Amino acid sequence: MLLAGGQGSRLHALTSHVAKPAVPFGGKYRIIDFPLSNCINSGIDTVGVLTQYRPMELNAYIGNGEPWDLDRSYGGVHILPPYMREGEKGTWYKGTANAIYQNINFLDTYNPDYVLILSGDHVYKMDYADLLRRHKEAKAACTISVLEVPMAEAPRFGIMNVDENDDIYEFEEKPKKPKSNLASMGIYIFTWKKLREYLIADEEDEKSANDFGKNIIPAMLDAGEKMTAYRFKGYWKDVGTIDSLWDANMDMLSPDNGIDLYDSEWPIYARTPTKPPHFMGKDAKVVHAMVTGGCEVYGTVENSVLFHSVIVEEGAVVRYSILMPGTVVKAGAVVEYSIVAENSVIGERARVGASPDGSEDWGVAVVAQNLTVGPDAVVSPKAMITRNVKGGGVK
Amino acid sequence: MMNKMHGIIFSYLSNPDLRELTQNRNTCSIPYGGRYRVIDFMLSNMVNAGISDVGLIVHANYQSLLDHVGSGKDWDLSRKHGGLRILPPFSYSGKREGLYRGRMDALAGIRSYLQNIRQDYVVLAGGDLAVSLPLRDIFEAHIRNDADITAVCTGHPKGDPKGCDYFTIGAGGRITDVSVHPPVAQGCESLEVYILSKELLLSLVDHCAAHNIHSFSIGVLQAMVGQLKILPYVFDGYAARLQSVAGYFARSMELLDPTVRGQLFVPDRPVRTKDRSDPSTYYGPDSRSFNSLVADGCVIEGEVENSILFRGVRVEKGAKVSGCVLMQGTTIQAGAVLKYAITDKNVRVNPGRMLMGHSTYPLAIAKNEIV
Repeated sequence: MLLAGGQGSRLHALTSHVAKPAVPFGGKYRIIDFPLSNCINSGIDTVGVLTQYRPMELNAYIGNGEPWDLDRSYGGVHILPPYMREGEKGTWYKGTANAIYQNINFLDTYNPDYVLILSGDHVYKMDYADLLRRHKEAKAACTISVLEVPMAEAPRFGIMNVDENDDIYEFEEKPKKPKSNLASMGIYIFTWKKLREYLIADEEDEKSANDFGKNIIPAMLDAGEKMTAYRFKGYWKDVGTIDSLWDANMDMLSPDNGIDLYDSEWPIYARTPTKPPHFMGKDAKVVHAMVTGGCEVYGTVENSVLFHSVIVEEGAVVRYSILMPGTVVKAGAVVEYSIVAENSVIGERARVGASPDGSEDWGVAVVAQNLTVGPDAVVSPKAMITRNVKGGGVK
Repeated sequence: MMNKMHGIIFSYLSNPDLRELTQNRNTCSIPYGGRYRVIDFMLSNMVNAGISDVGLIVHANYQSLLDHVGSGKDWDLSRKHGGLRILPPFSYSGKREGLYRGRMDALAGIRSYLQNIRQDYVVLAGGDLAVSLPLRDIFEAHIRNDADITAVCTGHPKGDPKGCDYFTIGAGGRITDVSVHPPVAQGCESLEVYILSKELLLSLVDHCAAHNIHSFSIGVLQAMVGQLKILPYVFDGYAARLQSVAGYFARSMELLDPTVRGQLFVPDRPVRTKDRSDPSTYYGPDSRSFNSLVADGCVIEGEVENSILFRGVRVEKGAKVSGCVLMQGTTIQAGAVLKYAITDKNVRVNPGRMLMGHSTYPLAIAKNEIV
């Protein structure tokens, strides 16, 4: 069960039109491609995707699940939006647990032994079969995937305190003085019969926030259920903020980042339009960058990720930036430390973003989709552009 | 207008002058244009014109083609009714032996399939031609001009005359003569794409079978210019027919010209191909690359210029690739130097090797070879 209903408000302009899981990532993908591909690579062929916020593009993207081999006559991918029920008012998904509760009928149809709960906004490669093995071996009611984080960062996470067998005896949400550095990744396996009981009980509690981390996990711990941790080793990133989204994209450029997108043993699948190969112009200079089909590069691109159909004209410079599908950087423009969303145009000689070189309080500039930044305009670092920017006049 | 045409692609064509490139495949499934097989262009032309039913006539060496087209879903041709049909020999009338002797022979072999076509008109085309054709417009012209046969041709001949047909266009705009495989080019070069009614096609197939005529060019076009209203449709956009290794190389290099690409990759008529789920291409910190067409899934850490790279090619540090066509999965290891070479699928060039052809006589390295 893939929770994909989050609004992603910390991604600001990038999620004004789409749900967070549908935000483009890594040149070829949307964030949701990672958990979906992990599912099929792990041998899971029945997946429910719970959507709610701005679902149109996400639903269209998932479609019949064919790109992930999830178009099946039994199982496959199911889009599960909240819905109205007879005799009672339908509601939006109140929380992560409520979202699953509202789909108990769906789960009962398949009547699985185990349910895997995933989030649609994490970038990582993980073999869920290994997580399940741990769950079965420990004979647990719930197994939570955890990541060892630096102790200093532990207060930012939900922390699992475990005994010598890695069984969880305590869960602390964002503790000021953490006792361990095992952070919950928001990836859970439950024995379905157990989870079903707790979901029903949780729904009856009017004070509950109907959330896995806040309610279900603590309730199960209190009741003395066997809860165990699964230590995940490898790359994992929550891309819920502009900075982490930018960071994670930059990580994809580093061959030893822990995620090898070129590894055919664990491919990440995506629904992509057919575009011709990209073209490198006579004066193109492209280093340490990812470039995708349909792009045309005549200028300079360094340390950047270019999605499909991006055009970088002569004399334009793109550094440390993410250019989403269809963006155009006109001649002489300079785009640095920025994210430019779909189909936006950066005018001639405009300057978008910049900073580093030792500077500390800087941020990524964001240009939302379908906008025009006029010629000679200047967009400062950290700016969040949601309307067209007029040209800066001839200097 | 939609769905009134049926597509037939002659997908058995093979040309010995393509040597290594057709060792494991026929001409129609030669990789071309950085990520396509030649047949993708004609399949896409048909789909982009609203054609929903396409038959591929195959004969020998078609494993690679079957592998590529699969159920036809990448072209939206995997349908409950109609869609893509593979038409191998021996599946209809059993008396045929050896390769098809010509297009009419091939059509006679699928006579019962043709009989069951749901549409009133048929497009006949070769699968060895890379072109973006406005088939919808061509069909409209066919109806508007009340033609018996519309034959697509170009005023910019490019092919080797010994393998091409040429049309003489008379004063009334009709084709008045057809030269088949002449020693020198004359008039408009045929792209061997024809539109005609199903009814006429069936009667031509029967007529030719009864008279032991195998060639469409000779037995129909040439022989019947007086009886049938055969009209040309002159298409002046880019068209590449793959006839020899040197020709393949020249047609590939032409893709580096933006005008050519603009004519072959028309935004309204996307060229569809088999999806492979490749990541984007990565350019390393010390890479240099310019004037090249590069598909997804490549990792480039060396130097690439004036080249076409297919999906999943690796160019390691210090390697230099100039004026080359590197097909899917080619690996050029550290320090190797390649000039004017065509490497077929999954070729590996070991570290430090130097391979040099000439622009008029490129070196072709067959599939899976290790240098």
